[in-house]
Amino acid sequence: MADGSDTPLLEMIGISKSFGGVQALRDVDFSLYPGEIHGLVGENGAGKSTTMKIIAGVHHDYEGVMKIDGKEVHFRSARDALDAGVGMVHQELSIVPDLTVAENVFLGAQPLTPLGTVDWKRMVRESREHLSRLGIAVDPRMTIGELPIGLQQLIEIARVLSSGARIIILDEPTSALSPPEVERLFAMLRKLKTEGKTFVFISHFLDDILNISDKVTIFRNGRKVLTSPVAEIDKRRVIENMIGAGHRELEESYTGEIRLDTKFDAPVVMVAEGLTVERAFKDVSLKVRAGEVLGIYGFMGSGQLELARALFGKIRAEGVISLEGKPIRLTRTSIARDEGIAFVPESRRAMLFHHEPLFKNMSISVLDRISKWLLKPSSERRIAEGHIQNLRIRTPGPNQLLGNLSGGNQQKVALAKWLTHEPKVLILSEPTRGMDVGAKEDVVRIVRGVRDKGIGVIVVSTEPETVLSLADRILVMKRGEIVREFAGDTVSKDRLLEAA
Amino acid sequence: MSETGTAVVRRGSARNWVRGQMRNIAPFATLIFLFAFFAAASDSFLTTANFSNILNQISITAIIAVGLTFVILCAEIDLSVAAIANVTGIAVAFFTLQESYVNIANLPLPGAFAIILALAICAVLGLVTAFGVTVIGIPSFIMTLAMMQIADGMSALFVRGQIAYAVPGPIQTLGAGTVLGVPWIVIMAALFLLVAHLVLTYTRFGRYVYMVGGNREAAEYSGVNVKFIIGAVMVIGALCSGVAGMLGVAYFGSAQQNEFTPYLLDAIAAVVVGGTSLFGGRGGIPNTIVGLLVLGVLNNGLDHVQIDPFLKVLIRGLILLAALIINVYAQKLRSQTEALGD
Repeated sequence: MADGSDTPLLEMIGISKSFGGVQALRDVDFSLYPGEIHGLVGENGAGKSTTMKIIAGVHHDYEGVMKIDGKEVHFRSARDALDAGVGMVHQELSIVPDLTVAENVFLGAQPLTPLGTVDWKRMVRESREHLSRLGIAVDPRMTIGELPIGLQQLIEIARVLSSGARIIILDEPTSALSPPEVERLFAMLRKLKTEGKTFVFISHFLDDILNISDKVTIFRNGRKVLTSPVAEIDKRRVIENMIGAGHRELEESYTGEIRLDTKFDAPVVMVAEGLTVERAFKDVSLKVRAGEVLGIYGFMGSGQLELARALFGKIRAEGVISLEGKPIRLTRTSIARDEGIAFVPESRRAMLFHHEPLFKNMSISVLDRISKWLLKPSSERRIAEGHIQNLRIRTPGPNQLLGNLSGGNQQKVALAKWLTHEPKVLILSEPTRGMDVGAKEDVVRIVRGVRDKGIGVIVVSTEPETVLSLADRILVMKRGEIVREFAGDTVSKDRLLEAA
Repeated sequence: MSETGTAVVRRGSARNWVRGQMRNIAPFATLIFLFAFFAAASDSFLTTANFSNILNQISITAIIAVGLTFVILCAEIDLSVAAIANVTGIAVAFFTLQESYVNIANLPLPGAFAIILALAICAVLGLVTAFGVTVIGIPSFIMTLAMMQIADGMSALFVRGQIAYAVPGPIQTLGAGTVLGVPWIVIMAALFLLVAHLVLTYTRFGRYVYMVGGNREAAEYSGVNVKFIIGAVMVIGALCSGVAGMLGVAYFGSAQQNEFTPYLLDAIAAVVVGGTSLFGGRGGIPNTIVGLLVLGVLNNGLDHVQIDPFLKVLIRGLILLAALIINVYAQKLRSQTEALGD
């Protein structure tokens, strides 16, 4: 258990780190004691992942001192860190899905026979022993990719342990797990804790953190704000510290109440009932009204990005989707487009043609309305020029190659594609991610303009600010289900985070 | 393609232009070099008669390469073109009345029916390929490898090791006749190249072909029916091969197994040597024309200079390798130029 009297197993003193002029960490002190589970929370970009990547040897170019067992260390690589007993389990698991469980447990360190070939018998036997000691009952000869995600994750933790790690950093370990899988993970962590293993548990899910951790450390804007035993803190105070309550001007922007201008009487344009996509979300039902912006918020991996794809026919979902009262079968994206559904995915690379001029990028989704057979490049250019003016896209003209534009302007081109002929429903995934303040304001203005024309807009995001700045009504998704709706009232960022 | 040249590039624009146009410049320079080399090395190369010879020799390849240009622009490949040409050519002869000494159990039909049936066969084979690639999801490389075997097998069943000679009258004219001294087959090749160029440059379908090849995911996110476009280019590839096969049988004067085998490599080489990107979305018919001429001049020119005939194949292989290197290198240069602009 956490025992303050011991010397720390790991100690960081005055750690700072910057990425190309951007200060990611400022003067962070952090201590980890043997046999504790230490929760780490903070918003995106607060510095928790950077701190852990320094401990795990991923970043080695930092200022400050790090000690393990009281001795100063400076890891040059993840290998160095592992040799010193620090292992990390990333959110994106690093298992090889086509290999067996045993091969994954011994990845890169297979036992060999005297002839130099892989000793399969020993590998299977030892991995079976190792896994059953951790309470994982699985045949080591099975292909790991066929197992549920939760089990894959436990096996990856087992691998990190088998490579001799004493400190294990878990990055968002529960985001893809079902509640029983979370329970099983926690049971294993508690057992390992009694055996003296030490864990750092990074998560957006505050309930999970408060459930499993002995201590919690909160980061904000690259600084460590607070370390507290979990017994002496509650969810409310964690959120206050994460978003900066107490500083009056910050409190204004973060805990300030935002009025949701929900239009309860506008006609419903799109209805989804009982939508399910395996391993992404299940039994999701929602309605979109004409002239409203429906925000869907959830942490990374909550299923909202997949939901947006399913509503555009990019992935097949079970369930019923209807548009203006008529059920539609979205077997491919061209059907969705023909029905009047438009979608801008979160990755610009996935939806724009970088080596083609602007006008071709903007006309591609409406070409059939511009011309039946023969292209009309002059009409395409004229339409593009209109969008360039209306959306304030900074470019010399419609012949400019898309790749020469800045990210924010590319995002506007992605929006412009769908605005030539107004869709009935516009779905935007992470519409302001990675944009500067000015470009964000432009996008907010454009989206409001689209909404005011009576188009139903869905904004899907993992960033609370994006949803709060755009939405008239907000749904919160958690582990593939809609858990909360905010409508016709006020909402604040802390209440949004609490719901998710 | 012309817009690429006029686009404003921020830094070092002249150098970037050359980098961006590498895939168009290199094949043209190769053509000029080969032409100058053979003109200097041989007295018989630079004559009108020989020039029309070259055009004659590349015409069948040209018609096959037209279909392949669509396929490769979509970042797919079709290895069955020569086999489909062969089976279509054999089919049209199979449905034509042969001389009594031809020992094939054939089904003589009126000429128009024979042509329509032969075209239907290659269209169906193209549709099967399209179904396998788009609906089932078999990579086109493997799917068309299987289709190559299927078409070859059909050819074998049609002729059973024998040779047929007669083809319907119109096919005989278009494949082996001339008009005003110009071979019809050259006119047919020019016509196919022209129509394909117009389709690719000025129609909505052509734009979709380039966009699907340039970024398939983005095309799908733009609501383009990507599977339809890919299926369509596979069928176009098969139809062009079929026409080339029928005309080729008339041109050769016989229909038999394996007589189109060298055209697979030639047609792919013409498209790729011309500079159409193997990764899709870049290039087009003008590139294919340059590629056809490079191969035509090379094949023909090597016959006009004192060279070990057994060295010819090796030289062609080396030229193809050089073209592949330039093709992939040009793609890298462009990606780098793009990255600078980001």
